Amino acid sequence: MGDVATSAVAARPTRYNRAVTALKAQFERQNWALAVLFFVVLLIFPALPFVEGWMAYQASLIVIYIMAAQGVSILTGFTGLVTVGHGGFLAIGAYTAALLMKYTGLSVIPGMIAGGVMAAFIGCLLGLIFLRLAGAFMAIGTLGFAFFIGSIFNNVPIFEGRTGISLPPNTVFGVEIDDFGFYYVCVLALALITLFVYSLIRSGVGRAFKALRDSEKAAESSGVNRLLYRTLAFSISAFITGVAGALNGLIVNYVSAEVYGDIWYSVDLLVAAVVGGSALLFGPFFGGFFVAMVPFYFEELRDFAFILKGVVLIAVLVLAPAGVAEVIARPFRAWRRRLLDKARGSAQTVEAEGARS
Amino acid sequence: MSHLRCENVTVCFGGVVACDNINLEVPEGKIIGLIGPNGAGKTTLFNVLNRFQEYETGHTYYREQNVDNKKPHEMIDLGMARTFQNLNLFSEQSTLDNILIGAHRLIGNAFANMFSLPGARRNEAALVDKAVAIADMLQLSGELDNPVKNLSYGYRKRVELARALAAEPEIILLDEPVAGCNEEATRELVDIVRHVNRNLGVTFLVVEHDMSMVMKVCDYIYVINFGANLADGTPAEVRADADVIAAYLGEATQ
Repeated sequence: MGDVATSAVAARPTRYNRAVTALKAQFERQNWALAVLFFVVLLIFPALPFVEGWMAYQASLIVIYIMAAQGVSILTGFTGLVTVGHGGFLAIGAYTAALLMKYTGLSVIPGMIAGGVMAAFIGCLLGLIFLRLAGAFMAIGTLGFAFFIGSIFNNVPIFEGRTGISLPPNTVFGVEIDDFGFYYVCVLALALITLFVYSLIRSGVGRAFKALRDSEKAAESSGVNRLLYRTLAFSISAFITGVAGALNGLIVNYVSAEVYGDIWYSVDLLVAAVVGGSALLFGPFFGGFFVAMVPFYFEELRDFAFILKGVVLIAVLVLAPAGVAEVIARPFRAWRRRLLDKARGSAQTVEAEGARS
Repeated sequence: MSHLRCENVTVCFGGVVACDNINLEVPEGKIIGLIGPNGAGKTTLFNVLNRFQEYETGHTYYREQNVDNKKPHEMIDLGMARTFQNLNLFSEQSTLDNILIGAHRLIGNAFANMFSLPGARRNEAALVDKAVAIADMLQLSGELDNPVKNLSYGYRKRVELARALAAEPEIILLDEPVAGCNEEATRELVDIVRHVNRNLGVTFLVVEHDMSMVMKVCDYIYVINFGANLADGTPAEVRADADVIAAYLGEATQ
């Protein structure tokens, strides 16, 4: 008893469903093709004729920011929770990888996994506290966490404060890598994380995240365990940002409280998520690019970079609250919706004629 | 056998007594109505039954198992789904996604899901098939990929029912399922409720203001007023009850 669908009505796909399903599969293939093309471009980028050595470092930074913003977007975009403290997880990732490298000789790839795992572990513990707070209180709580982490790294001796921890050159499988090698590690990490986020948001778990974001009551009455799923989202988000943090430290072979001791990273990551558009898979790609490139163009005028970020943030919130990615996606979505409507219309006509004859 | 029962439940909001020693019993496999004038405490009682609302005194039982300390998401694991009076849908999401969230308790292992492992993908495909079948039954299949915010009020009510059905529940609490629906939509909904009840043995507890609908579909009716039990009986008994008539129409003054 209770098995409504299977015993009451066998699944009998109508013509409409077949047409729409085929069209949707086609859209998905297009998305995949675009994503693969994008990553192929990232892979061949170092071989392009105009590329100079310093670009590898800058490109790696962009990729790292994109990943960190992906972590934030899991929370702000897909689960509907505001975080102003993800710089803390970035720092945890960086210091975990740095300390392991210094004291145990761990290399880049295990280091970045360790950074992610440590961030996820701390994220899970914090989640159990923060997720009992609602809305703005959670934002303030996470902000407090970022300050707290900053002062820990500033003052606890093992983190070596503002002197910082200097690290040996990076190696992968025992081979020393240059800036381009490091860039490839970053791109690999980005590809894997993007694939994971894609899988996550389309799964039953991602559906539960979105349900909690859109209506807590309906989600809970449908059986979503609010605290469990939010803690899961918080941990995943921290993991991804932690991986980015590990790479962010290792790329310059140096971590110090000068860099990770204040909350600017937290603000940057939130800006990246919001400007790019955090409820879309490719939103963080725009946001990460923006946040990584602004200081690059305004190296001399550091304060101006802050002003520009603020102005752009406000402009996006007013003009395109769903982010730049949503504005870019809009015409494509409208076009696809038209195709779907057309498929639906013609399928229904065929069906009606079939029923009449 | 009793499917769902509450015993002397009292709920207070500050000084207001929303539910005052309410007793209610829903037998297995029946369609039970819960009626009463506005503000009688019907929705509060629903929230008690699916554990959104704490209560000061009293107990609730699911199949004679005490569920006083259960959380809302645990009630659906027992087999209880519900709909909401003022609609609680994910309005930006498609009809299909809205129905699928109802099947949340059937998604299986969360980690297999997150990584889209083969087993999870097969399970997901089966859930989609079932959701499509439910949509078919409720004549929603033309709207599957449409965001719910584009649907008419009556269709949205159906999406809520579809979401509840997707959980493969044993009992469904319907909070005003035909409010705002025209006669034809109401008749269709009555047919669906009857169909699910007769053929699948799903128990229903229905709050509704549309008396003709309640009288037609319910096996037994509870009437509450000012948060307290007023009367209960078969539709014919309730219709003839002097207290009920007084509660709805007011006392005749001399």
